[in-house]
Amino acid sequence: MSDEKNLGKTEEVAAETIAAPTESVKTEETVREEAPKAAPRVSAHNTAAAAAYNASNEEVDIRRKGGEKVQVKIKTNKIPYEKKKNLYGYGFIALWAVGTIWLFIIPVIKSLWYSLCDTWLLDKSEALLRGMTSAGIYTEWNNFYNFRRAFTIDTNFTPLLTGSLAEILPQAVVILIFSLFIAVILNQKFRGRTLARAIFFLPVLIATGPVISVINGDMASQGVSDAAQFSSLFKTDLVSELMEFIGIYNINQQFTEFIENITSNVLNLVWNSGIQILIFLSALQNIPPSAKEAANMEGATAWEFFWKITFPIISPMILANLVYTIIDAFVSTDNEVMRYVLAQSTNWEHGYAAALAWIYFAIIGAILGIVCLIINRFVYYENE
Amino acid sequence: MTDNNLNNVANQPAENVTENIAETIADINAGAAVAAPTSGGKPKKKKSDYRVTNFEIIRNYRHYTTKERKHYKYIFWRRIGSYVWPFFRFVIIFGLSFVILYPILYMLSTSLRPQVEMNDPSIMWIPKTIRFENFVEVWKAIEYPQALWNTLVLNIVSSVLQVGTCALTGYGFARFKFKGKSFLFAIVLLQIIVPVQIILIPQYMQFRYFDIFGLFNAVFGETLTLTNTNFAMYIPALFCNGIRAGLFIYLFRQFFRGLPKELEDAAYLDGCGPFKTFISVMVPNAASSFLTVFIFSIVWYWNDYYVSSMYFSNANTISMKIENIATTVSLYLTGEVGNALDFMVWMEAGCLLAIAPIVIMYIFLQRYFTEGIERAGLAN
Repeated sequence: MSDEKNLGKTEEVAAETIAAPTESVKTEETVREEAPKAAPRVSAHNTAAAAAYNASNEEVDIRRKGGEKVQVKIKTNKIPYEKKKNLYGYGFIALWAVGTIWLFIIPVIKSLWYSLCDTWLLDKSEALLRGMTSAGIYTEWNNFYNFRRAFTIDTNFTPLLTGSLAEILPQAVVILIFSLFIAVILNQKFRGRTLARAIFFLPVLIATGPVISVINGDMASQGVSDAAQFSSLFKTDLVSELMEFIGIYNINQQFTEFIENITSNVLNLVWNSGIQILIFLSALQNIPPSAKEAANMEGATAWEFFWKITFPIISPMILANLVYTIIDAFVSTDNEVMRYVLAQSTNWEHGYAAALAWIYFAIIGAILGIVCLIINRFVYYENE
Repeated sequence: MTDNNLNNVANQPAENVTENIAETIADINAGAAVAAPTSGGKPKKKKSDYRVTNFEIIRNYRHYTTKERKHYKYIFWRRIGSYVWPFFRFVIIFGLSFVILYPILYMLSTSLRPQVEMNDPSIMWIPKTIRFENFVEVWKAIEYPQALWNTLVLNIVSSVLQVGTCALTGYGFARFKFKGKSFLFAIVLLQIIVPVQIILIPQYMQFRYFDIFGLFNAVFGETLTLTNTNFAMYIPALFCNGIRAGLFIYLFRQFFRGLPKELEDAAYLDGCGPFKTFISVMVPNAASSFLTVFIFSIVWYWNDYYVSSMYFSNANTISMKIENIATTVSLYLTGEVGNALDFMVWMEAGCLLAIAPIVIMYIFLQRYFTEGIERAGLAN
C-alpha cells in the first residue's frame, strides 16, 4: 500500500487525527458513510481512512523542521490489550506446532500413503534413477493390494486381530472396576496408607518396560514347579470350588471360563492397573469434603455415598480411564498385533506394515467412538 | 457440640432422637468427639457417660418405637461395619501388595541362586547356596556402567527438553484464547490416541535421511543420518513430540488451568510480558507438577525400547539390553545362543539391575509421584 506517500498529500487530515487520536475511529466511520456521496473526493477520503486506520495502530507524528517534512512514527499498542496478549498464545505453542506438522502430521499422511502403495527402500543411486532427489522410500500405487492382502491372503493377521479384541475389551472393563475399587480403598485413612500407595504404584514404573515380559515369562514357565502353591491361591481351583458351592458352576460354560480367566489373571490385573488407580485416586480427591459431611448428616451409608455422590462426581474420569485403558492395552508393545506389525516393518515391508497399522487404528477408533457415545450418556458433568 | 441432651440417648423420648441423630453419628465417626472445643470450662464427660453401646441397643431393642428402631439399627450396623471393614481392607491390601511384590521377591530369590537350583523342588524362597556372581557376570555381559551412562544421558536430556516444551505448550493452551485453539487441541488429543507404530516408519525415514528443505542435500550432496545418534530422540523431545508428549501437554494444560489467574494478573500489572510471567510466576508455582511430569517422563523414556530399537541399531540402552538379555547372557557365558530357560538366574539378576536405579529414584521421590498428581487436580 502507498499509504505513506498519500500521507504527505493529506497531511491536514492526518494532522487532525494526531491532534485528536481518540476521534480517529469516529472520522473513519464518518468517512465511510460519506464516501459514496462525494465521488470526486473519494481518493482523498480513502487516504484519510487509511491514515486513520494507520493512526489507530501507530501514531504518525509529522513535524516541520526547516520547511522539510519529517515523519516520526511512534509505535503504540492500539491493539486491544487482551487481543495482543492472546496472540502470544501462538508463540507458546509455536514449537509444538512446528514439531507436530513435521513429526506427526506429515508422517501420518505419509504412512497413509505407504499403506496404499508398494514400497521399496532405495539408496541414492537407485533413487536418482527413479527420479527422486535423494535416497528414501520409493512408492508405487497398488490399488489397495495391502488391505486385500491383510484380510484375504495373510493367514496370521485376522486371528491375531480378533484374538486381541476378544482379550482386551473384557479385560479393560475388569481393570476399570478393579482400579476404582482399589482407589476407593487407598483414598480412605488408615495406618500404613503411604506404604500401600507406594506399593500399588510400583507397577507403573515397571509394567511399561521390558522387564514385565520377563516377569510374565516367569509366571508362565514355572507354573508347575515351586510357585505352584502360590498361583493356586488365586487360581481356578478356589473359585470353581466357590462357584460349585453356590451352584452356578456349570450353568454356562462361557461364563465359567470368563470368571476363571479373570481370577487366574490377578497378577496381570494388578500389574496393569497402576495408572488407572492413580487417575481415580486423583479424581476422588476432588470430591468436596462438604459433600461427605452433608451425606453423613443425612445418615447415608458408605454404600449410598458411593453410588449417589462418589460415582457421579468421578464419572467423567471413568470414561477417560476407560479410553486410556483401551488405548494402552491396544498399543502396548506386548500386544500380539503390535509385535506382528513391527515384525513386518523390520522385514522392510513398510507399505504392508502401514496398512496393518491403519486397519488396527481404524478398529480402535471405531471401538472408542462407540464406547464414548454409549458411556457419555451416563456421565454426569457438573458444569451443565 | 452440645452434649447435655446427649445424656442417656437410649432413654429419651422419640421426638428428641431425630434431633440427636447428627450428633450421634458425628460421635461414631470421631470417637473423640466428646472433647469438643465448645464444652469450654465444663469438665470433660467420658464417652461411656452418654454413648449407647451395641449391647445396650440389642438389650433395649424391644422397648424402642419404630422410629427409634430404624435409627438404632442404622447405628448398630454402621458400628459393626466399622469394626469389620478395616480387617477386610487389611486383607485385600495385604494380599494385593503381596501379588505386586511377589515377582520382585521372586526375582531377588532366583537371582541369588546357582542355575542348578532353579529346578530343585525343595527350594521355595531361600537358596541353598548364595551366588552373587550372577550379578557380576550380568554386569559384565550387558556392560552395565556404559549402558547406564548412555541411558541416563539420553533420558535426562530428552526429559528436560520434553518437559520444558510441553509446559510451554500446555500453558499456551491453558491461558490464551486464539483462533483455532480447539482444533489444535483436538490434534493434541489425536496425538495421545494415534499409536506410535503408525508414524514410526515415516519418522524413521525422516531421521535416516535427515534434511531441511533439501538444504543438506544441496550443500553436501548427502542427507544427514541421525539414526544411531541421540539426536533422533532429542529432536522430537525438543519439538514436543517425544514419547507420550501429547499426554504431558494435556497434563500441563490441566495443571495450569488449576492455578489462580490472579497470580498472572499481578505480574502483568508489574509490566511483565507473557513469557516472563510464565517463567517467573507460573513455573515456580507449578514446581511440584513439573517434578511429577518429569518423573513420568524419565520412567517412560527409561522403559522405552520400542522407539529406541527403531532408531538405534546397536542396543546401547538398558531397556534394549534387557529386551535381548537371554541372547546376550548366553553369548557371553557360552559363546553361542542358547535356550533362555537355561539362563534364568542371570536374566533375573539383569532385570533387577535394570529396575534398580528407577526404583531407588522412586523411593526418594515417591511423595511427589503420588501426591503431586493428586494436588494437580488431574480430574478438573
